[in-house]
Amino acid sequence: MRLTVNGEPRDLHSPPLTSLLTALREELEITSPKAGCHQGGCGACTVLVDGEARRSCLLPLAAVDGAAITTLEGLGTSDNLSSVQAAFDEHYAAQCGFCTSGFIMAATALIDRTPKASREDILTALSGHVCRCTGYIKIVSAVEAAAKGDVHPERVEPSFEPEEAEVLIPGSPA
Amino acid sequence: MKAVGARLPRYDGVAHVTGQTQYVDDIRIRGTLWTKALRSPHHNAAITRLDTSKAEALPGVHAVVTHKDVPHNVYGHLEALGIPADEPLLAVDEVRYKGQPIAAVAAVDEDTAREAVSLIEIEYEERPAFFDIRKAMDPDSPQIHQWGPVYPHFGSYNHRRVRKGDIDAAFEQADTIVEGVYRPQAIEHCPIEPQTALVVPEANGRLTIYSCTQAMYFSMGVVAAHLQWPLNKLKFVGGTVGGGFGGKVDTASETISALLALKAKRPVKWRWTREEEFLASSTRAPWHMELADAVTSDGWILGRRMTTLHDAGAYARFSPYGVTKHAFHHTGAYTIPNVHFDGFVVFTNRVPTTAMRGFGVTSVSFAVETHMNRIAEVLGIDPLQLRLKNANRIGDTTPNRVVLKDPSTVPVVLAAADRVGYDLPDEYKSMTNERRSGDLLPPHLVDQLGGSDASTNGGGR
Ligand code: FES
Ligand code: FES
Repeated sequence: MRLTVNGEPRDLHSPPLTSLLTALREELEITSPKAGCHQGGCGACTVLVDGEARRSCLLPLAAVDGAAITTLEGLGTSDNLSSVQAAFDEHYAAQCGFCTSGFIMAATALIDRTPKASREDILTALSGHVCRCTGYIKIVSAVEAAAKGDVHPERVEPSFEPEEAEVLIPGSPA
Repeated sequence: MKAVGARLPRYDGVAHVTGQTQYVDDIRIRGTLWTKALRSPHHNAAITRLDTSKAEALPGVHAVVTHKDVPHNVYGHLEALGIPADEPLLAVDEVRYKGQPIAAVAAVDEDTAREAVSLIEIEYEERPAFFDIRKAMDPDSPQIHQWGPVYPHFGSYNHRRVRKGDIDAAFEQADTIVEGVYRPQAIEHCPIEPQTALVVPEANGRLTIYSCTQAMYFSMGVVAAHLQWPLNKLKFVGGTVGGGFGGKVDTASETISALLALKAKRPVKWRWTREEEFLASSTRAPWHMELADAVTSDGWILGRRMTTLHDAGAYARFSPYGVTKHAFHHTGAYTIPNVHFDGFVVFTNRVPTTAMRGFGVTSVSFAVETHMNRIAEVLGIDPLQLRLKNANRIGDTTPNRVVLKDPSTVPVVLAAADRVGYDLPDEYKSMTNERRSGDLLPPHLVDQLGGSDASTNGGGR
């Protein structure tokens, strides 16, 4: 079977009923789609299949022969984040990070299709995705910001100048 | 101090959003074998036969382990404190909860491992299961634990006790007794990353263990204890946890994977399925809490009697610790000078329970706060005024006789009231956490006050 994965043509040799998730992770070693449940319940395995967000754990390889697959690795890089990636970082929408790949792929598909996505649209698009850490509020704010184009990918790194260090304990070596 | 209060970027934020964070399941080591476990299908049963020879003979199987392969099988978290061990890593002649591991297989792929597990020959004699913690002391209830119905090692007692003041006098003086029963149920942590371990035998005889544990050095100690190895032969790699919430404190997959890796002389990975997570991973405990408070009609709580039953599941693990914390917090954020508390750790046939976000305390906070509302309703007084009056103040003494130096109940209640626009009379709005005096120091609270020098712990009677 032949797929286009993140823009590159790839031949796959896993048996045709292998899930796309297992083929991506075990054969191609593309590990951003996560195996949270392997039964369609959590959304952590979400990838784009011809631009649509799909749960890769439920898709047999045979059903996606010839398709174009995009995973998180196929969006921006660390020095050139996509707007959704930058918004997730800026809004603290990734805590442990295990659900993040699935959420970013679903949000990316939504914004590509509906550039001015409303809060309603966002809630619907993310509704089948489970995050146990963030409580969702930060995720929804991140996607709202990305939909509005209100992102600031340049990271403000904190600077700790040694000469500015306060002496907390008088007489200490600091 | 520029970092305090500043919105700093997460140190792992960019790695998370670009998919570069490596969780245990993302690590690739050539030749890694897959693991599947044989788990108990029964809540309570004797194992009458266990034969793994057909599984061992299946092509593609590299190792099968049972209790016979574990150098130190029965382990307890509190062994170092002199408390005997009670939980086998792999079941020996009985199973006490559904999902309890009995044997494990490492094979070339997941399907072969699964097939090998189905070839293990096992016979059970089912026994009646026990789940209702309220019936623990019934002579007719099934006996499931070698220590009896409850954990017996709280010093010389079979329960955690707290006694302070004169509880009988408080109940005699009360205008009203307010009673309540509170029963929060089990909660599965359900981290999105299932339990996963990867163990690699190294050429120098050490094991490298990639672990999703929340407690690296603790888990290292548990693996070393089971293997009877010195710590310096184990290298733990971890710190990247795909959600834990307390559920990854107990060491669940590392030791069995290590035994398989040693026997197969190959790297071994064990990733639990979501079904295994729900069935066999520990949960937050169910609790049963009974409270009776001696109160006055003007809203003072003179005394509290409380009995708690904590469902430990099949083995003790950290339950005694959870109940001890629970006991220390059983008056919540309020000062009650006379208390009588008994907390029991009850064994049942559920999966062993464990830490989860505020271990032992969330249950009692739920009971205490709900009970405060109930008292307010019975007395017909405002629930926030009731809280502010009885709130901890500087110099007050907790049930376990710690003199409070800077309790935050009053400012927190006032801030919450302010945020939701809750109207309070001025005398309440102007309250602070300062040492009790005047109207806020009724006779029943005088003797419990600690010395004004906050270092004088152990105030009160
Ligand atoms: S792994 Fe596909 S939905 Fe959970
Ligand atoms: S960030 Fe941990 S599950 Fe979503």
